[in-house]
Amino acid sequence: MKFAYTSLIAGTTALATIAMAGAVSAEPMKIGITQNNVGVDSYQTTYEKAFIEAADADADVETVVLDAGGDVARQIAQIQDLVQQNVDAIIIWPTNGKAVVPAVRAADKAGIPVVITNSNIAEEGFDFIKSFSGPDNITQGSRSAEIMCDKFKDMGIEKTAQIVQISGQPGYTTAIERAKGFEDRLPEVCPDVTLVETQPGDWNREKSQRVMEAFLVKYDKIDGVYAGDDNMGIGALNAAKAAGRDGIIFVGATNFAVGYEAMARGEYWGSIYQSPVDDAKNALATAKAVVEGKDVPFLNYFDTPKITQDNMDEFTKPVF
Amino acid sequence: MAGFVERMRNGDIKSLIARNGIFVAFVAFMIAFGIGSDRFLTFDNLESVVRSSAMIGIMALGVTIVVISGNLDLSVGSMLSFGTVMVVNLHDKIGPGPAILVMMICVLLLGAVNGFLIGFVRLNSLIVTLGMLSAIQGLTLIYSGGKNVDVNPSTQDTTWFRVFGRGEVAGIDMPIIIFFALASFVGFIIAFTPYGRRVYAVGGNPTAAVFSGIRRNRVVFSTYIVSAFCVGIASIILGSRVMGSQNNVGQGYELLVLASVILGGTSLLGGSGSILKTVIGVLILGFIQNGLLLLGYPYFAQWIVTWIVIILAVWLDVAAKRGRLLSPIA
Repeated sequence: MKFAYTSLIAGTTALATIAMAGAVSAEPMKIGITQNNVGVDSYQTTYEKAFIEAADADADVETVVLDAGGDVARQIAQIQDLVQQNVDAIIIWPTNGKAVVPAVRAADKAGIPVVITNSNIAEEGFDFIKSFSGPDNITQGSRSAEIMCDKFKDMGIEKTAQIVQISGQPGYTTAIERAKGFEDRLPEVCPDVTLVETQPGDWNREKSQRVMEAFLVKYDKIDGVYAGDDNMGIGALNAAKAAGRDGIIFVGATNFAVGYEAMARGEYWGSIYQSPVDDAKNALATAKAVVEGKDVPFLNYFDTPKITQDNMDEFTKPVF
Repeated sequence: MAGFVERMRNGDIKSLIARNGIFVAFVAFMIAFGIGSDRFLTFDNLESVVRSSAMIGIMALGVTIVVISGNLDLSVGSMLSFGTVMVVNLHDKIGPGPAILVMMICVLLLGAVNGFLIGFVRLNSLIVTLGMLSAIQGLTLIYSGGKNVDVNPSTQDTTWFRVFGRGEVAGIDMPIIIFFALASFVGFIIAFTPYGRRVYAVGGNPTAAVFSGIRRNRVVFSTYIVSAFCVGIASIILGSRVMGSQNNVGQGYELLVLASVILGGTSLLGGSGSILKTVIGVLILGFIQNGLLLLGYPYFAQWIVTWIVIILAVWLDVAAKRGRLLSPIA
């Protein structure tokens, strides 16, 4: 998938410079985007900034950037507006994977290609979209399992280790997929590590801190914690530090600045590096390729590599 | 005491239990969970539950006063998000002392807006505070630009700001001490001072209160100031405990707070309720969630059981007051 994406970018750039130099730049393609809820968290805020910057840097595209403010009804109205404006492609960051499907179908009927970004829509909508551009959360979960397992092997405790999991908000695709990826992969790489319990931390650091406090009371032996994102991972780390329980291996996902800093301090072992900038650029490139009529993989993932204390120098500190 | 014995002799024990059902329920829960899990009644666990209930508890103190005066406050969750984001964000910029001061002033101003609209303009408290719930959330997002905020990690272990959430006195965690100190203070004010009687009067019978010379608008205004003050204190503790904050950290807390207050038997119609019972309500809610977790039930069991307990508690409360289970009115 990584290869497909890289060649896609290369192809796009080459074609854009050679074949389309004259015709397209005279009439730039118009791409509309309706985002989920900019401003609610730093990831989405950075995403929007990166998207606008990437579009500004590209003379071939003109964008209409909208934000649904987390409101499904508003997002549906925005999709209809973009159809009315007859844009060349619509990018949607769904506020709700199911509720937007009818609007997506309407856009498809009107002949406007739709690309979904960041989190996918419900399966019944797959016929009406050209591509999904975003992170592969199942792979993220399985990579976290590998990070955890590799560390246990280094420590020589892969036969005895006990871990707990703090998952994201119940019902959220990202939370479900990451947990599934982790739970499926862990027994493959470290069959003797036991996952003793999973509880949701609702993407909330304080809630996660409370859950971890209860885990620490309940289990005398915890060797590792897998958290659905670094924000929750740091909450768990806070709880362990307060209880004076050293030596626990913390692995998260979506590397946040706080997670990166805790890794630099040696308190937090690893995470998954997911850049909102890559997310935004990939969405724009995917939409552009769709308009240009190129073959785009239906699930066009961008790479989210492993990051641990060992290789963190290769990555810049996340901005969120 | 003589009266008490007299009542016992008259077979009044049933109504005594019914009127203080909350204490009975509390003891029953503790025993049941104690049997179910050998970790439940350990000091570490009890301390951990009370500590994590402290923030909900402190907010519930203020909301109890608001509810006794016959109103609601649904804006406390958003206000908590606002307060923590602000105090954490300002901590590195202007130092912990000024950060706390500025945050408290801003939170009290938000409380004043609530109090003005509900006390002096006499708008419905449900509508005003529901509106404020969204408005303050928006304000928090504007303030933070959507970013998470953190206290600089290199100072997290040295700043004196850590005392509120992570410090301890004589082996007892600071959030617990602050919770019980504040509960005693507010409980005293509401139960034993003229101000407290005015709050009950305004909630029990506003018309009579006004005719007795109580300035209803001022009393209602003051209850929202108390509520905001409690949220401010909770924000300091939460910010200090987590050393960071998210824009939505208090989301949903308004319902937990209100649930604790109702569980404590404070009537939503106003005029009755007590701080002691609210404290018990807070602890029951905290221990239910913790107990189910220790017994290994999944989170959705917690949601279901929590709300069953709340509905039963309210039912018991109403049934005890009217002496029958179902409503006598068709």
